Amino acid sequence: MTDRLHPALIAFAVLVYFFLMGPLVIVIGAALSDTGYLTFPPQGLTLHWFERIFEMSAFRRTMVTSFQVATVSTCCALLIGIPTAYALNRYRVQLPGWLSTLFVLPVLIPEIVLGFSLLRSIQVGVGLPVVSTLIIGHTLLVLPYAVRVISASLASFDFSIEEAAVSLGSPPIKTFFTIVLPNVRAGVIAAFILAFITSINDVSISLFLTGPGISTLPIQILAHVEQFFDPVIASVSVLLMVLTVIVMAVVERTLGLTFLAK
Amino acid sequence: MTTPLILCNLTAHYGATKVLDDLSLDVGAGELVSLLGASGCGKTTTLRLVAGFLQPTAGTIHLGETDLTRLQAHKRNIGLVFQNYALFPHLTVRDNVAFGLKQRGLAGAERTRKAGEMLDRVGLSALAERLPGALSGGQRQRVALARALVIEPPLLMFDEPLSNLDARLRVEMRVEIRELQRANRTTAIFVTHDQEEAFSISDRVAIMEAGRIRQFDRPETLYSRPANAFVARFVGFENLIPLTVTARDAGRISAEGEGGIDMTLSEEDLGPIPDQFILATRPDGLRVSNGDHGIPARLGLRTYVGRAYHYQAETPAGHLIASGTLGQPRDGGETVCLVAEPEQCCILDHEGAS
Amino acid sequence: MVHGLKGWMMAAPATALVVLCLVLPVSATIAATFYAGGGPFDLYAAFLSSGFRRTVLWRTLEISLITTVLSLVIGFLTAYVVSRAPPRWRSALIILAVFPLLTGVVVRSFAWLIILGRNGIMNNLLVWIGVDGAPFTMVYTQGSVIVAMVYLFVPLMILTIVGVLENIPDDVIEAAQSLGATPVQTFRQVIFPLAVPGLIVGSVLVFTGSFTSFATPQLLGGDQQMMMGTFLYQRAMVAFDWDGAVTVSAIMVAVTLAVVIGMTRIAKRLNPMTT
Repeated sequence: MTDRLHPALIAFAVLVYFFLMGPLVIVIGAALSDTGYLTFPPQGLTLHWFERIFEMSAFRRTMVTSFQVATVSTCCALLIGIPTAYALNRYRVQLPGWLSTLFVLPVLIPEIVLGFSLLRSIQVGVGLPVVSTLIIGHTLLVLPYAVRVISASLASFDFSIEEAAVSLGSPPIKTFFTIVLPNVRAGVIAAFILAFITSINDVSISLFLTGPGISTLPIQILAHVEQFFDPVIASVSVLLMVLTVIVMAVVERTLGLTFLAK
Repeated sequence: MTTPLILCNLTAHYGATKVLDDLSLDVGAGELVSLLGASGCGKTTTLRLVAGFLQPTAGTIHLGETDLTRLQAHKRNIGLVFQNYALFPHLTVRDNVAFGLKQRGLAGAERTRKAGEMLDRVGLSALAERLPGALSGGQRQRVALARALVIEPPLLMFDEPLSNLDARLRVEMRVEIRELQRANRTTAIFVTHDQEEAFSISDRVAIMEAGRIRQFDRPETLYSRPANAFVARFVGFENLIPLTVTARDAGRISAEGEGGIDMTLSEEDLGPIPDQFILATRPDGLRVSNGDHGIPARLGLRTYVGRAYHYQAETPAGHLIASGTLGQPRDGGETVCLVAEPEQCCILDHEGAS
Repeated sequence: MVHGLKGWMMAAPATALVVLCLVLPVSATIAATFYAGGGPFDLYAAFLSSGFRRTVLWRTLEISLITTVLSLVIGFLTAYVVSRAPPRWRSALIILAVFPLLTGVVVRSFAWLIILGRNGIMNNLLVWIGVDGAPFTMVYTQGSVIVAMVYLFVPLMILTIVGVLENIPDDVIEAAQSLGATPVQTFRQVIFPLAVPGLIVGSVLVFTGSFTSFATPQLLGGDQQMMMGTFLYQRAMVAFDWDGAVTVSAIMVAVTLAVVIGMTRIAKRLNPMTT
């Protein structure tokens, strides 16, 4: 395509990107500002607010909880999601069509409704402890990533190489680990990262499944913002952005950046 | 509608790599010229330059009196048939064909009439209201052809248009393309990597390699008198044997090569022979003989190719492929002499060897 | 059959989890709306007879629709530029769109609180340059919710539409040019019609996302601009009115499913690539 883009269109796109990046830059500015609130023009710079995060036990605790919940639920989702994705591709003809639709449901059903229903049926109804319900909720939330992203990798996987390995004497389970899994490595990494990030950032499900004793970071942020308006939240936000940057760097290293667009 | 196309000293780059190197080509009015070569030889680049999807770094493109070099693609008025047909998936067959007419501001009724006529000509009237997704490969190819022809362009260009069809349909379609092109007397460029296709359809063929044209000639000439070793190999002269003339006697030439090669050739059969030359032969042009004159060879693997046997042969001129009669199969390891059959041989200048 | 059994066994744990912990609880929630009140539709009647609840539903629909339209226009134009940018620029622009998407909803909504709040950057700026009447109340208005929502969803729209535009084969666009279509004609007659199914998919994502959002209306709308998500939370966890909460839940599920199923059906019909 040799025709040029209209300059007005380019200018518009530049403005949109300013709109996308501006607020995040402002959050960083707020986190580093040395006044107790946000001023314009900005005053001096400080890292004081980052220290404050770690002085506040609520943030320390919820940060740990968020990491634990994200790790456990992502691993659970991959553990049950990888065989499911494999089955959905390998035995496509034998399995009913609605089965793959079933794994779209967690995306289709509003998260906040899922959160409330888990509270109603599992936590209150069955009486499972808060932590278990929270992990179940997050596993459900991220399961579609495991199933769909890995399915997408398996869709381009040539199952005849698996048969080749078996014909050469490799037992089926071993073949799965030595032949199939290495070939969908990119999908597994991508699924892990997307799932982890989704879980860390989740609000709508955790909202109902946390209590005074146990909470996640985003819920703690929400609660804090409603009572105080100080730059501590901005510093926490910056920490979360740093996490995102790290994740993107990992993706870039292992999969290449084009993967992010999918 | 007969306009010549003149490409003059075209050079093109992809980034820092030069993909077309000072290429010049004259296509006569109403002529069909094929650009033939392996992938990466620059044939598609040439086509995209003419279409206006790429800009040359140097050189000019003229279609008749018009200078196309800096003209925008949509103003060039060239009928293009793409490798993957590039039909508009959201438009019916009729609307696909009428698309170019619409851009030219033709009224609805006139468009429908012209598109209908063109669909008649390619035998697709019955499918006019279908979407391209519902057509077979051959039918899509016909729509693509109709769409390019209906705008009555002074130049038609085909980018490997038959490579996605099965063998039988490919032969059928190339006859059809040639007939339509002949009937309209439209100048045409045909890009392909298939030698048989290029030779059967074209008035002239340009054999390309590494961004240059290695030889531009009628198919008959290319096939029997390649100008250099590259083209010779390309058209099947697999054996290249360097020789030096030792004696001339009224058109009878005696020549020697390394390791006791000693051949007698006739200028009457092969045309003038310089003192230093390369004898190029197809496998059928190098026969196993019982005599002791020719190229001494040790035979290797024998393969059956229908009309004869082919032998892998180790000779002082390197590894060659020779042929032998079905009546007298030879075993691997036998030592024989190979002699040239003039119909399947040609003479290359020593300089043209590279 | 043996193969089928193997497949079932591998899919069993995940299937069990989804059925037991998603299908059953959500079905129970929806079922509760029919038996918790006196008659089967009493809860819905009660919901619709309350002016405040009708307003919440209507406001949610309105904000979601405005957000969708704005995101669609902004996202489409930007995606068009991104998809046509030189390769190096293009991947940079895509990364810049992915970054906010991976940054959480809370962080991105909070950013607008810093900007629009009473002591926020915007008001500080206005006071500093001496605008009459500053500081203004910008937060807890419908406008602030919409701005933050559009901010939330534009990256998603950009990425969805870039994907769609990149699926349009280059040679189809070149074919249009070779047949004499100007860039504007090519856009109107080829690129746009081929992008429509993708635009619908993107719009569905944004609409359902807005319709069921919580953090953004909570931070920027507060009680003044209550939406379905915040209202559900308020019913369930503040007022402990579970009859109200299940009704809100059921309505959210119904609207979401209706929009998703209806629109994907339309998108599929419009998609010539799949026929």
